[in-house]
Amino acid sequence: MLSRYRLWLVLLVLAALAYPPQWYPLPLRLQLSQWFGASAYRGLPAGLESVREQAEVFCPQQNAGWREGQQIEGVTVLPAETCVADNPYAVAAFVRGTNNVSHNTLMQSGLTADAVVKGRDLDGDGDPDEIHIRLEVAELNGSSAESKTPVTQYALAPGITPGLWVFAPKLAGMATENFGSNVARPGLRLPSPALRVEQGDRVTITLENTHYMPHTLHLHGADHGFTTATGQGNDGVPFTSEVPVLPGRARSYELSPRHVGTMFYHCHVQPHVHVMMGLQGLFIVEENRPDNWLQTMNLGAGQVRAPSVAVREQYHREYDLHYLDLDKELGERIQQYNDPRLITKSMHRDYDVTDSTVDYFTLNGRSFPYTFRESLLVVEEDERIKLRVLNGGAKGIALHTHGHKFIVTAQDGADLPAANRAPRDVLWLATSQRAELALHTNNDGLYAYGPGIWPFHDHQYKGITNDGIGPGGNISAIVYAQYLDEEGWPQTQGVSWQSYFTEAYYRKQVPIWESYAPGLFSDPGVDWWLLLRLVALALATGMFVGLVVTSSRR
Amino acid sequence: MILVRSILFLCLILSTAVSAQDQHHGHHDMQMDSSGMVMNANRDLLPRGCQEISRDYHFSISAGIQFAAGSPGMIFGMSQHELKVEPCSRVTVTFTNADEVRHQWMVHGLPKYLYPTGMFHIEANAGATLTGTFIVPGDDRTYLIHCDMAQHMEKGMKGQLVVGAGSGNLWSVKDIGDPFYRDAYLPAYAWLLLVLAGLAGLAATLKFSPITPG
Repeated sequence: MLSRYRLWLVLLVLAALAYPPQWYPLPLRLQLSQWFGASAYRGLPAGLESVREQAEVFCPQQNAGWREGQQIEGVTVLPAETCVADNPYAVAAFVRGTNNVSHNTLMQSGLTADAVVKGRDLDGDGDPDEIHIRLEVAELNGSSAESKTPVTQYALAPGITPGLWVFAPKLAGMATENFGSNVARPGLRLPSPALRVEQGDRVTITLENTHYMPHTLHLHGADHGFTTATGQGNDGVPFTSEVPVLPGRARSYELSPRHVGTMFYHCHVQPHVHVMMGLQGLFIVEENRPDNWLQTMNLGAGQVRAPSVAVREQYHREYDLHYLDLDKELGERIQQYNDPRLITKSMHRDYDVTDSTVDYFTLNGRSFPYTFRESLLVVEEDERIKLRVLNGGAKGIALHTHGHKFIVTAQDGADLPAANRAPRDVLWLATSQRAELALHTNNDGLYAYGPGIWPFHDHQYKGITNDGIGPGGNISAIVYAQYLDEEGWPQTQGVSWQSYFTEAYYRKQVPIWESYAPGLFSDPGVDWWLLLRLVALALATGMFVGLVVTSSRR
Repeated sequence: MILVRSILFLCLILSTAVSAQDQHHGHHDMQMDSSGMVMNANRDLLPRGCQEISRDYHFSISAGIQFAAGSPGMIFGMSQHELKVEPCSRVTVTFTNADEVRHQWMVHGLPKYLYPTGMFHIEANAGATLTGTFIVPGDDRTYLIHCDMAQHMEKGMKGQLVVGAGSGNLWSVKDIGDPFYRDAYLPAYAWLLLVLAGLAGLAATLKFSPITPG
């Protein structure tokens, strides 16, 4: 019995010695401090070496010839001054119609012959008015029974590959760059293409459902009948208009819009899931003008390289800006299973949108820093630039421009009266709202403050992060051409971007100010002395419990 | 596990002779019209090591959702998932797309000196039928057949072309290879069964264990 008491005593002493003095109760600490003064100084743990990952090339030089202004099939394709540009052959094929271009142009465009078919000129004004657009449905960053890395990969930003669904143009051949690559080919991307038709055109949009789930097409804000001429549902809504288009099936939607403006199209099957997966795009109705050959699709939105007659009359440049936020807990559901039955249940019954939060914030299908490759607004002084903005995300955006005030000329596809056109530097766009903005670059101290690299972004702070890590999200910039280098990369003069172009940074592994204050705010090392004391304390506690248990047994 | 996975993946790679450097270079022979396209067709040029065409084959293959009916978890299907041919034979494929969307029938890993990017490819528009011919090499190999529309292979359109004795079956091919990563199909009460089984094991050990507590 005596030995047992002795053991209790030893344990008690061990625990008392191991207990970290910094956690003693305050009165005891004060008393000890009065008796003995301050404890001896121990240096704080040194900083750890930060994670160093090779940065990606900021401005990849593939398809460099695509940036140049050129004439293809008689179509003037404007230069794209950003680092990554759309395929100019695809631009030309969208303007002429994939049925009206040479075999060579079609091959170079990557499109099928029936991707955008243009027919007769019904009003005799020199441009085609029968327009047949075909859209497929593609899954990006999806699952595979053979690999745990996403297939048909599309990165929003370094290492960020959430599952996505998009309406896609018909691209002939493989969905990936080549057989050795897992990466989605150019043109197969987020967002779904911006579509442009002319007021009064006879437009047919065929939804070819190449995906493994049912989908429809809904033309939000664009003038369309509830049914087609044959009585088929034309509104895309499963519970009022039609049975959705099953996998492997196709359906044609028809419209002949009487009203111009910036509209929206999206899938209307389980919209709280399908629209938020990326099945949404800009739908623009342009004024009817003579010889108005429109760029029917703008892949990935962004710069319009063959603008309409009406836009060219009033503006030097035109950009489509499509904002979309994404919930990573939704996107990862298509990556967790390969069986479409399990995926369907997970997305539509297990996922609860009322409990959701959004994590990624894209502009034209990319997040910072990739936005700087392709979604810069490149301008010169004394220009007028037209911006068509869509907020397709679940959360509102407070769109803010540095260095400029813009004028809102239209909202939700209807022109605003002159009295409402005040210069502004923040615009609130609720979910699914559109706005047309006029940006003036005359350096007058109101509309613009002169040349530079001026960011524009959602001023709601979630929106400028990638899952909470900034800078990220939908940050892009208005860049005056003189600030671009030969390759189209902006000559910034702030901090190094090396860490932004690593996956580690957005995995939250790199101290944020490491590039210009190395070591100052690095992750501290371990206090081994404290750890040792805690382990000893834990040991004593375990033995104490053991003693209690064995004592109660006897 | 990772090692096993790596080896299996390596086998998969080798069996289809994929090169990471594979690029879309070189001249593609292509016939394209409103019904679709046939790429890299070859009726006459013999692969190295072949003296003559050993035999002529003709396969009629259909694709579409109806061919996946009755196969749980598959959406897109093919009428035939495996083709067996002799080395150095000439293979003609008539590919019919029964769906209202595009489908493809692609073979990968063929010699690049005859088939740019190592690929023979038929792409059929909705409802179209196209025919193409190619000549297989003389060695025993198994080649990947698939539709490369996003997710079509993953959701059923995967097959294999076995030349001679082949070089082993591919994973995730209907009736031929199991999914390499098989989803877990378990009832919702599985956790309860596992807990009960664990408790039963514990109880049994305590009751019947030869070692008595000291």
